[in-house]
Amino acid sequence: MGDSLMTIVAIVLAAVLMFVFPLMSMSDRSDDISQLTVKTATTEFVDNVRTTGRLSLDDYSAFEQEISATGNSYDIEMEVKVLDENPGKKTTQASSTKIGENVYYSMYTSQILDTIAPSDGTSKVLALKEGDMFSTSVRNTNTTLSQQLKNFFYTVAGNDTYTIAAEHGGYVTANGSAN
Amino acid sequence: MMKYQYLAVIFVIIMLPISLVFSAYISAQLDTLDLQISYDTKLDNTTYDAIKAFQLNTVNSSTSDLTNSKIRDIEAAANSFFTSLATNFNMAGYNSDILQEYVPALVFTLYDGFYIYSPFENTLDEETRSRLPANATYTGGEEVTGLKPYIYYSCRYVKGNIDVTITYSLDNYITVQGTDKNGNGINDAGYLIDDVTYNSGTGQVTYRGITIEPETQLREYVGPTSYAYIKINGVKYYLDDRDSTNQRWFTITNGKMSYVATPFRSEDNDMGYRYYKEAYEFKQRLNDYGILDLRSANAVSPEGTALTPVTDIDGNVIYDFTGTNGQDKIFDFSDNGGTSHIEERDSNFNDHRLAVIRYVVETNLSVALANYNNYGTGTYEFRMPKLGEEDWSRILNNVSLISFLQGLSIGGKIYNGYSVINNNKNEEVVTEDSIYIVEDVTVPDTSNSTYHRVTHEGLQNMVNETTSKGVFNIDFERKSLGSTSSETTLYYFPKRDLGCYTCFVAQTNVVGGYDNVYDYLDSISSTANGRILAKIYYTALGRERYSMYKVFRNPEEHVNQFR
Repeated sequence: MGDSLMTIVAIVLAAVLMFVFPLMSMSDRSDDISQLTVKTATTEFVDNVRTTGRLSLDDYSAFEQEISATGNSYDIEMEVKVLDENPGKKTTQASSTKIGENVYYSMYTSQILDTIAPSDGTSKVLALKEGDMFSTSVRNTNTTLSQQLKNFFYTVAGNDTYTIAAEHGGYVTANGSAN
Repeated sequence: MMKYQYLAVIFVIIMLPISLVFSAYISAQLDTLDLQISYDTKLDNTTYDAIKAFQLNTVNSSTSDLTNSKIRDIEAAANSFFTSLATNFNMAGYNSDILQEYVPALVFTLYDGFYIYSPFENTLDEETRSRLPANATYTGGEEVTGLKPYIYYSCRYVKGNIDVTITYSLDNYITVQGTDKNGNGINDAGYLIDDVTYNSGTGQVTYRGITIEPETQLREYVGPTSYAYIKINGVKYYLDDRDSTNQRWFTITNGKMSYVATPFRSEDNDMGYRYYKEAYEFKQRLNDYGILDLRSANAVSPEGTALTPVTDIDGNVIYDFTGTNGQDKIFDFSDNGGTSHIEERDSNFNDHRLAVIRYVVETNLSVALANYNNYGTGTYEFRMPKLGEEDWSRILNNVSLISFLQGLSIGGKIYNGYSVINNNKNEEVVTEDSIYIVEDVTVPDTSNSTYHRVTHEGLQNMVNETTSKGVFNIDFERKSLGSTSSETTLYYFPKRDLGCYTCFVAQTNVVGGYDNVYDYLDSISSTANGRILAKIYYTALGRERYSMYKVFRNPEEHVNQFR
């Protein structure tokens, strides 16, 4: 009796050790790989916009496609801080293009998307200028296999947590043209 | 006897929790490391952004040398730092001031000193306070974050009657103030250059055996038109000769052209010639003052105590002011008992200069960081991280920004990092590397000519004494010009020459194996062509250094010398 109980316990443990553990570690690694891909893609996308001063629908779609290729769905948040001319010039030396002294106004994801992909179906380029700032942050919205397994075993992950995230931003260093 | 199953189950029951705990521990450590690396990267990016903002602001500003304008540019760069930090930490939309709590100091190292941007108590002086009305809302004592007063790279020397303060810079320019060996006052400044001869009869100046002469006119574009120009004390004056009956000189102020009232004598310049000639005279004066006899051990703190040695990150002594380096003659001109040329990297002067700059930065900065604890609200105690040797060499050789970020929790520990980024596009300092040689300045812009590094292999056979010129590399940067009639900005390149592919991009055609550019030019000076190249290079280096803005000069008197 005791023997067969022990055998069952041993089988259960063996199953856990032989199947669930490798599965968990495999799914963890696959998340790591996705994380790396997303990070690289985000950095590339943002740096591309920063160095060319142009954000086109093509660039955005290519970026979206590249990160979706990891098999997860993502929430992409973009922000453009537009360097505004300072209405109250302080001294005679004030220059409207001085970076760091003037105010910024922000454009967020939906406004940016409205600009580059207006509802009439045409695609446009959002031109940025030297001194603007552009940043993007990406988070996964689906539950990845590793999250599911973790939820099943030790229920640590809540609904709104994410495991794959990347963000990048900085100054735009070129004047882009909208053509 | 226990069955195998029992053994196996007991083994698993013991090992499984242990391995779980271990893996959790290790993954927490990994997360901390990851976070640390990502914070390092973010800090680097942010610092780079601040430097970029500083570059964009100063390259397009003709007044960026002047202190009040420079302070504005630096404050603007500090603002950009915090905006960019907020963006990088994905806190966009928040007030970037939150992050000020974690930045104990930003250090902007400039040509002859540095600014520290950190919190301080804004105390009003006695006079201001006495004038405040009794019910004033502001009475001082407020905690503000801003630029502290400029700190020079200076050191006090005492020897007999000599009691001077010498201010060093990122090149071989020094300012001397105090009393000389006879107890007379000194207030002097100049470049230290070895191996210069000056014949007061003929006016001939030679440097390393190469005769340096005044140059013919330089030309540069402003917008679409090319003008002859001279640069005096950091400001370029252009000659507008489009209307031959009404030739006028103008400068670019606030991105717009503005004409100056008094014309200049000539569009030809003798800045390179003056650089060497004045260095020759400066050396004679230093000798009269008795300054040339100073040794490292004469260096003291402002209070008169001996200086502590400069050490590296592991505590090894790099420079010992009183011990091993104590008897080093600081001003080791080769004809004054020195072993190498004073302007070269391996001279006693250079070692001493670097040690002083490092000493001054380190002592002031550690005070600023230690004081930060008085202002911070957190429990974290800010400490000055030890900067690596590589970072020091960057700080000591070019204008740079050092940023500190401390006190953020990264899992297992508290983040304490710094970042050093060089600003290699600035008009603050002219390094030996920043002079490029344009093959032929007379080539019309329809067929652009090429510019090279001076170490381009065989460049001496491509240059011509009258048509080749050395150019400061910042002049190849794009500039902007505001229009007076409309609110548009015109972008243009002052110099339209193209960079040489093999010496800038591929770098396959660059001479190596020399310690510095002087050694290389010495080695080719045996040929007539080599001497021409050396002359072009030395003249340009002298011209650009001499025409930089200098605080020591009286700007009005200096400009009038050319009128």
